[in-house]
Amino acid sequence: MSLVQQSNATSGGGSGSGNLYDVLELILDRGLVIDAFVRVSLVGIEILKIDVRVVVASVDTYLRFAEACNRLDLESGRKAPSQLTDLVGDMTESGAKGKSKGALSGAVEAFTDSLQSKNDESEEKEQPRKRTARKTTSSRQSQSREE
Amino acid sequence: MSTYIYAITGAGHPLPLEGLHGVGDPPSELRTVSTDRLTAVVSDAPPGLRAKRRDVMAHQNVLEALMAGGATLPMRFGLVGPGDDEVMAALEREADAYEERLAELDGRVEYNLKAGRDEDDLLREIMTQSDEIRQLNERTRAQGSHDDRVALGELVAREVTVRGQQEAEDVAQRLADAASRSSHAEPAPQQFLNLSFLVPRAETEAFVAAVQREADQRGDAYSFTLTGPLPPYSFV
Repeated sequence: MSLVQQSNATSGGGSGSGNLYDVLELILDRGLVIDAFVRVSLVGIEILKIDVRVVVASVDTYLRFAEACNRLDLESGRKAPSQLTDLVGDMTESGAKGKSKGALSGAVEAFTDSLQSKNDESEEKEQPRKRTARKTTSSRQSQSREE
Repeated sequence: MSTYIYAITGAGHPLPLEGLHGVGDPPSELRTVSTDRLTAVVSDAPPGLRAKRRDVMAHQNVLEALMAGGATLPMRFGLVGPGDDEVMAALEREADAYEERLAELDGRVEYNLKAGRDEDDLLREIMTQSDEIRQLNERTRAQGSHDDRVALGELVAREVTVRGQQEAEDVAQRLADAASRSSHAEPAPQQFLNLSFLVPRAETEAFVAAVQREADQRGDAYSFTLTGPLPPYSFV
């Protein structure tokens, strides 16, 4: 399994760039509006969203999928995940399993804490390590969104 | 001076705003606009405001502080009214609707769940299940024309979309009982799910456990990211 939990977007001070990205669209696109009141310009962000939609159905995307399929090794591919798991298991030993369970059971508590305190230490340590497993696209986009 | 609005709460709501500041550089000062039934947390709207990290964080921090004290209607980032008088007029005009929504949200928080699947794992599944795609793949791998490759990619892209939607539906259905309401949004590229849940505060532990079970069942090829508790942005 792979579940990354985040108490909220802003815990852990300035280190939570990935976290902010994960809730950015909620803060920018959801939430209550009042008729006849205006919103500040979010031009750059809207452009980014349109780009994403266009790219999904483009020849470039098709060619990228085709290439990914061509590269795919159907025979050895099936073994790859377990080999990877073994490797990680050797390196981190029991730490890996214990950690993901422990992180979860402690998480609800951490959620509550983070409402009062902005510097939840265990959350802060947990996240950088776990986030390395994720694809890097989100952090890149969050940077371009900020500008 | 125009007025930036962060949130609307009931009139008696706690306002733990010490140490917090509003949007802008230098940071604006937070204040409230109140009627006898409702309170809006506001600040001056700085000229030239845009969605900078600093400002989005300031907005979010104010909401999280308010949320800790009970039901809060989070405003969308960047909402600006002509002035405090107009904010007060809006509070009076919409008082019934706002109070109704505050009552609905009382004791509830939002969780956002995003999920993605390892692309190779998905492609392998598609390839195993479709003769047409598998044959086209063999052909384009050997040599194949540009058109063949586009055709392959288009078939695969369609499968990726259909399967993603199906998986999103499955996840939503299995978690439906653990939440009061849910709300779909556009998933990010490479992901198939972007789903927000409204969860009673007293049941967040059970909800998180249900998400964990879902993630466990799906296996290593999937990555789930659960964020919360959040102000109920998706349910106002």
